[in-house]
Amino acid sequence: MEAAVNNQLVSIEKPEIVAPPDWQPVIIGILCNWCSYAGSDLTGTSRIQYPPNIRIIRVPCSSRVDPWFLIKSLQTTADGVLVSGCHPGDCHYISGNYYARRRFLVTKKLLHFTGFHENRIQFSWVSAAEGPKFAKVVAKVTEDIKKLGPLHLYKKENFEK
Amino acid sequence: MDYTNQIREIAARLFSENKIDVFVGYRMTGFDENQVPVLIRDPKEVPRLVFNDKSVFNLTNYLKHEHTRGKRVGLVVKGCDSRSLQLLLTESQVKRDRLYVVGIACEGVVDDAGQKYQNCQECVFPDAVVFDEMLGTPKGNGQYQVNADIRELASKDLVERRAYFEEVFENCIRCNACRHSCPMCYCAKCCIDQESSTLYNGANTTSAAFHALMTWSLHLAGRCVDCRNCEKACPSHLPLHLLHKWNEQVIYENFQEHLAGVHEGDRGAFYKYSLQDPDDFIM
Amino acid sequence: MARVGVFVCFCGANIADFVDVPAVVEEAKRIREVKFAIHYKYMCSDPGQQQIRDAIVQHRLTSIVVAACSPRMHEKTFRKALSDAGMNPYLLEVANIREHSSWVHQKDKKAATEKAADLVRMAVAKSIANEQLHEISVPVTKRALVIGGGIAGIQAALDIADARIPVVLVEKSPSIGGKMAQLDETFPTLDCSQCILTPKMVDVASHPYIELIPYSEVIELDGFVGNYKAKIRKKASYVNFKTCTGCGACWQKCPVKVPNEYNMGLDKRKAIYTPFPQAVPNKPVIDATHCTMLLKGKCGICSKVCEKGSIDYTMKDEIIEREIGAVVVATGYDLWDPKPYEEYGVGRFKDIITSLEFERMVSANGPTNGVPVRPSDGKVPKNVVFIKCIGSRDEAKGIEYCSKICCMYTTKHTILLHHKVPGSHSYVFYMDIRAAGKGYEEFVKKAQVDTAATYLRGRVSKIYKKGDKLMVRGEDAQIGQVVEVEADMVVLATAVIPNKDNPDLARLLGVSYDKYGYMSEAHPKLRPVETAKAGIFLAGCTQAPKDIPDTVSQASACAAKVCGLFSGDTMKKDPMISTVNNEYCSGCQNCVKVCPYGAIVTEEVPMGHGSKEMRTVAKINEGVCQGCGSCVAICRSMAITLAGFTDPQIINEIVSI
Repeated sequence: MEAAVNNQLVSIEKPEIVAPPDWQPVIIGILCNWCSYAGSDLTGTSRIQYPPNIRIIRVPCSSRVDPWFLIKSLQTTADGVLVSGCHPGDCHYISGNYYARRRFLVTKKLLHFTGFHENRIQFSWVSAAEGPKFAKVVAKVTEDIKKLGPLHLYKKENFEK
Repeated sequence: MDYTNQIREIAARLFSENKIDVFVGYRMTGFDENQVPVLIRDPKEVPRLVFNDKSVFNLTNYLKHEHTRGKRVGLVVKGCDSRSLQLLLTESQVKRDRLYVVGIACEGVVDDAGQKYQNCQECVFPDAVVFDEMLGTPKGNGQYQVNADIRELASKDLVERRAYFEEVFENCIRCNACRHSCPMCYCAKCCIDQESSTLYNGANTTSAAFHALMTWSLHLAGRCVDCRNCEKACPSHLPLHLLHKWNEQVIYENFQEHLAGVHEGDRGAFYKYSLQDPDDFIM
Repeated sequence: MARVGVFVCFCGANIADFVDVPAVVEEAKRIREVKFAIHYKYMCSDPGQQQIRDAIVQHRLTSIVVAACSPRMHEKTFRKALSDAGMNPYLLEVANIREHSSWVHQKDKKAATEKAADLVRMAVAKSIANEQLHEISVPVTKRALVIGGGIAGIQAALDIADARIPVVLVEKSPSIGGKMAQLDETFPTLDCSQCILTPKMVDVASHPYIELIPYSEVIELDGFVGNYKAKIRKKASYVNFKTCTGCGACWQKCPVKVPNEYNMGLDKRKAIYTPFPQAVPNKPVIDATHCTMLLKGKCGICSKVCEKGSIDYTMKDEIIEREIGAVVVATGYDLWDPKPYEEYGVGRFKDIITSLEFERMVSANGPTNGVPVRPSDGKVPKNVVFIKCIGSRDEAKGIEYCSKICCMYTTKHTILLHHKVPGSHSYVFYMDIRAAGKGYEEFVKKAQVDTAATYLRGRVSKIYKKGDKLMVRGEDAQIGQVVEVEADMVVLATAVIPNKDNPDLARLLGVSYDKYGYMSEAHPKLRPVETAKAGIFLAGCTQAPKDIPDTVSQASACAAKVCGLFSGDTMKKDPMISTVNNEYCSGCQNCVKVCPYGAIVTEEVPMGHGSKEMRTVAKINEGVCQGCGSCVAICRSMAITLAGFTDPQIINEIVSI
């Protein structure tokens, strides 16, 4: 078999359009209830500070996340999406995150292929005890998206919000 | 590759033995050298059937057709068509005991210029995997290779790919011919047609086309057999195979999955998992 | 048209110091659907809840958004407030502006306020799509399964059975009793382990509400809380327990000798055996891996001497099923194998033994009749060196945690040695003495005085042989010097590790386990008995190393939880589960494949209205569904909806930012 083509995709790290000086990215965070949402609560309880750009949506399990949530997010309000679930083997629902992991990889690669920077959608495993890790993940995602600039999906039209 | 006579014989035999109610095959268009699918219900019409290297379409699409639903069907399948049939069987959409499948050891079909289609050149499974009767000599499986268009597009950078796909999505007229021609799109009501679903967006905009096509290709990830019915049906001639072949390639390389529909009972990559799946893209 | 009420909480200063709460209220009022918005100091207090109740009635609100702390904290409180006001409690949405905004953006009040306003907007949008949901009642099978018949399992089974709830007690070995049955005396009171344990074992066997299934293993658990179905494999014992009287003629005559597990291999048992004289049930089993009759077809002596004809060489493993409502896991612990301590000569020097071997030696029913002897020459040792933390607190060779019980039992061992061997002397190498517990510190202090044992704080670096003695070289950190002790015998206090079957069992039960193999409790402090899977509870060393009093407490706590679960005939269940829209379902059955609980089955419905032809659609068992949403995300035709997390709800959140 040939070398993996999907690892050869070229990404460039320059803003797609020049951002206004006061621009702040909007990042949607979709977190599973049992690990990552609890972890983000722990970040709060421990008063660990992170950038305020993330807006968190609670779902029962990362396997509830349909790929088109991510597509819809990028299409409407978000400059970037973070999906976070339980570590492999720790899923509250036994195997949900394993199914989710496959879908995430394919979705991420497909969006990358069709011209979205791979940092636009990111994934993490954050357990209920990993408050500091959640803060780190959010900081990294925010920084990545800030580098990429605002996402204007198909600028030729002003799509309904 | 010309099995016209054999197929006529088989169809006539099946009708005379009262084994089928309808036979799905190909006939000439009547105005050019191309062929169109035909549903034969009357044994007298059997001589209309033809089969040669212009028999392009995937006939399993007609198994969701109301004329064949619940009936005993005779059907011609090439290698790729038989894989979609395998998937339809796995997904309980058709009953095997109602089918009589004429499998073809396919040598590839050709376009108007007499040139073999790209998917036929790259075909891995030319022989039918499901059949009651096989025509031609099986050639065995080919070697999986990355699609030539994918290779070319993947070598471009992000902005070029974005521009390329922006044009693709812009040219989509949302006619849904791709969906209707796809044998794997059999849902009672497609998600993009459900008014209650927030996916529903009849607007003919680039963004809506992006959403619809991306969702469609993800629904077909691990299930597309590369028959390219969609592409042949598309009035805007969009390179829809790019999305499917890309997903197929990602799945093949990352999950070491077989191609869609090769094995009985294999539902595709999204309906199973392995503990060894790649994890390095996750923080 | 939806009429949403928004209630923003100050949470004292917790939210108000870092988020401009009145501005959030003003922002909320600008949303078209919001008909009422206020703020209050403590929304969760009774006056706060009263405002919600009043507003629901006065303003005819159709859904409620409370912007306060995490929904994991007070969602239940506010849901109750809604139902008190006659509103469906599931019309509530909580915007988490404390954990997700005020506490994590303390340096930027403007951004925190904007984010809080966004979170409120999202919650409002979601609440508009909320539907009225009703709790589901599920019938309960009032029978508990206890896995493991050590002291934890025994205590849990007795406590549950005393509440007149039937118990199935499954034990892997031929007798219940577990590790405690191997102990001689127990700290800190030095009462005889057998004397306090065996009456309980007998109680188990004779209790009308306990079904004891020894020599068996749980191999499958299906179902959900209140309605589990367990498959149990009864291993072939080759002895008919119904007719066997336990007379003992068979094992007295059996010619095959096998190392005795009960005595840590220090003596032999027969191929047909009861593990120890006080075993419950006191019926022998044949060890199929050693019996020559079963292996080679030669012998058959036990069958000949058995007057009742109870020996049956053709017996096969039997699989039985029991319907149960709750499970108590009490699989206990194993001891760590000290082989990695090569510098101590473990394995080379016979006179280095583990603490449980020592325990068996000093035990009155042990292989040496209660007197410790050197395995090398059978002499009674005078100088014994005890080394603690073998494997425990040792990241390099063993495990990181403290095994909790070694300090105490080593102290006990010094006392037992002092009692059993006059003129003997104990040396104890230790890292710390951890004696937290009622009467523990006093016990250690008294033992140090009574036995005059030499305590040396430090690690042993090497053990070597000099004549027939063992020279133990270690550091005494208190005088900062290397010391050498001449020992007749060395006893290693090896670490407690989880039962080696724990990970397999945990996977089978569907509960999580940590990196060592201990099963994980639902919350380390507030729910130490439950697992994350409803209806499965943990007792004893299955969860973490603990001593007998802690194990018994936890076992009784499990019993209380089980009794609580079984207090009604039905159980209330969260209504946030999936349902199938038959009209859209195309019957591909991918959801059946993906569901982790087997909650989805298929059913036949007419093709169309009044049609005779049938088609297959998916059907979700609402008792089994746990509401993960796996099926929803893989359903291409969007025929499945997960109540509480529907597509419109989530999309409303996404688009409303």
